[in-house]
Amino acid sequence: MRHRDDVLAGEGLLPVLPALRGLLPGGGLHRGSVVTSEDWGLLSLALVAGAVADGAWCAVVGVPVIGVRAAAEAGVDPDRVLLVAEPGPRWPQVVASLLDGFDIVLLRPPDQPSAPLRRKLEAAARRYGSVLVVAGDWPGAQSRLLVTDVEWTGIGAGHGRLHARRAQVSASGRGAGERPRSAWLWLPGPDGTVTMAADRADVDAHPARFEAGRLASSG
Amino acid sequence: MTRRKPAGTPPRVLVLRCPDLLAEAGPQDQDGSAAARAFEPVVAIVEGFCPHVEVLRPGVCAIPARGPARYFGGEAKLAAGLDAALRQGGFSCQVGVADGLFAAGLAARTGTGALVVPPGQTPEFLAKFGVGVLGMPELCELLPRLGIETLGQLAGLPPAEAASRFGPAGKLACRLARGLDPRPLIPRPPAADLSAAMEFDPPAEQSEPVVFTAKTLADQMHDRLAAAGLTCVRVRVDVRCADGTEVSRLWRHDGLLSALAVAERVRWQLDGKTSPGGIILLRLIPDQLARATGRQLALWGDAVASDRVARAAIRVQAMLGHERVTRPVLAGGRRPAEQVLLVPFGDAGVPQRPADRPWPGQIPAPAPATVYPAPRHASVTDSSGAAVSVSGRAGLSGAPALLAVDGGPICPVTAWAGPWPVTQRWWDPQQACRQARFQLITGDGAAWLAVLQDGRWLIEARYD
Repeated sequence: MRHRDDVLAGEGLLPVLPALRGLLPGGGLHRGSVVTSEDWGLLSLALVAGAVADGAWCAVVGVPVIGVRAAAEAGVDPDRVLLVAEPGPRWPQVVASLLDGFDIVLLRPPDQPSAPLRRKLEAAARRYGSVLVVAGDWPGAQSRLLVTDVEWTGIGAGHGRLHARRAQVSASGRGAGERPRSAWLWLPGPDGTVTMAADRADVDAHPARFEAGRLASSG
Repeated sequence: MTRRKPAGTPPRVLVLRCPDLLAEAGPQDQDGSAAARAFEPVVAIVEGFCPHVEVLRPGVCAIPARGPARYFGGEAKLAAGLDAALRQGGFSCQVGVADGLFAAGLAARTGTGALVVPPGQTPEFLAKFGVGVLGMPELCELLPRLGIETLGQLAGLPPAEAASRFGPAGKLACRLARGLDPRPLIPRPPAADLSAAMEFDPPAEQSEPVVFTAKTLADQMHDRLAAAGLTCVRVRVDVRCADGTEVSRLWRHDGLLSALAVAERVRWQLDGKTSPGGIILLRLIPDQLARATGRQLALWGDAVASDRVARAAIRVQAMLGHERVTRPVLAGGRRPAEQVLLVPFGDAGVPQRPADRPWPGQIPAPAPATVYPAPRHASVTDSSGAAVSVSGRAGLSGAPALLAVDGGPICPVTAWAGPWPVTQRWWDPQQACRQARFQLITGDGAAWLAVLQDGRWLIEARYD
């Protein structure tokens, strides 16, 4: 990975997971940009996973509920993650400080930020050449990802277990020539990774594995 | 007539332990700050007897016994007086007096009330203890295999032979076993000023900037000590407030504390007291200098963070506090909330339960992306509206049909699986739990990890 000091702000692209390439303009996260997912969830983690696997540092702000094992399974190495679970009322200063230093800041805003505050943080991301990934609403975002349809496999009425989730993710963005796009992903797949899912026929190719016995134990 | 002391006999020391607080500083209290705060009133009472209180760790402190004993009419009276004063304050404690810190600590641990080992009889007192009390794992394993079970036997070895056979650790152990000072102190303090200080103008109202400064000052102090080839046994932290009051506290250092750890002790010291008018001066003074024997300090735990990342993290720590900026470390366990340990940035953290063990019965992949640190209450009812329950033989009273989380909207359950019984740590009443696990999917597409424990439904995690 090129060091952040080598690129001018706005230039350079942080890689994303192959499954998400088609959804983002340029096939990655532009340094200095803001990307949102509708709410906190695996999609937020999947957005940063490609860059962290490539050596980027990620700070996660305002998410005391982060499932670290899910993050690790999705490809976010916990050794490259810093958590600020409760940033308190001064969270904008915290985020601005982290943008200067970390390649990606994954933020769930504790409260709805005002327009001037949003512009200030966007400017900070541009100045330091880092990416702000927001789990929530952010009107000025360059790209917005949204889970529009989901379907769990492997579980029935009283039998099986959660095995994988097929999710349709649609992306919209700002700027010329930005058309809405969408794709079906395994979010997560059976091993916790996030990969492309083909069309509906693909569902039958992943029959649910009933491993309920593994859940029960004593000791 | 007093017996003439052999050379190297350490001064009389009184050690005071609060067993309740030590129990509190257990695994739940990772950084010891809760115990440190609880210990502060005890230290305040002890300061009434002697101003030079040295806090060894939260729950244990020491004072020099000679001066106060003369004032209070003997060591036994001093110990009894302390015991009575603390009992009045609502603390239970153990007191031990002996020659040197090591023996006094053992005396405190042995007795229920106060135990005074008469001057000169410390070697006899120590002789009956097993070598395990030295707290040196390698030696304690080796010595019994060579037939040396007690400190008395260890003390009987010729010192020079022990040093050549067991190295510096053996030399230290031998000195301790014979009731001598662990390492000879340097008799005269060096001429150069090794302390580090910072004035605050305007006075610092909040403790955060002071703690932040303490980190820098500790670095300076360590640099100066290192340049002189010295290390300090204790560090004295002086804090002066705008109204002229000064709070000074001694902390055990032994050349082992990182700058961050020193700053953490400054925080404990500030947490215990209000500082009227703000803080105007912070000074760190190395106390009891000894020759450095070349122990390296690891400043950043095991994470190798680039300078820029580390700077950003420390800046945020200065804003929010040391322990609110954390690194996640995967740990072992069966419940999702057990599977991560949050280590303050800059500290080293090793989970008690390693992640690389099988942990039968843990939740299989995929792992939930949302894990509630404290489980959320929920209600799960069957189609007739009755709460779903599980019998002792994992029989279900009815199929889950409706789920409401935290009194929120009621959602229909479209698919579910379970119950999977989990019984763990039945041998430990603090951690024992019996649960029945379920996975539930609601009509809005959300997937939940729910458990039924003691007749109550709890949501532990959410998958999407």
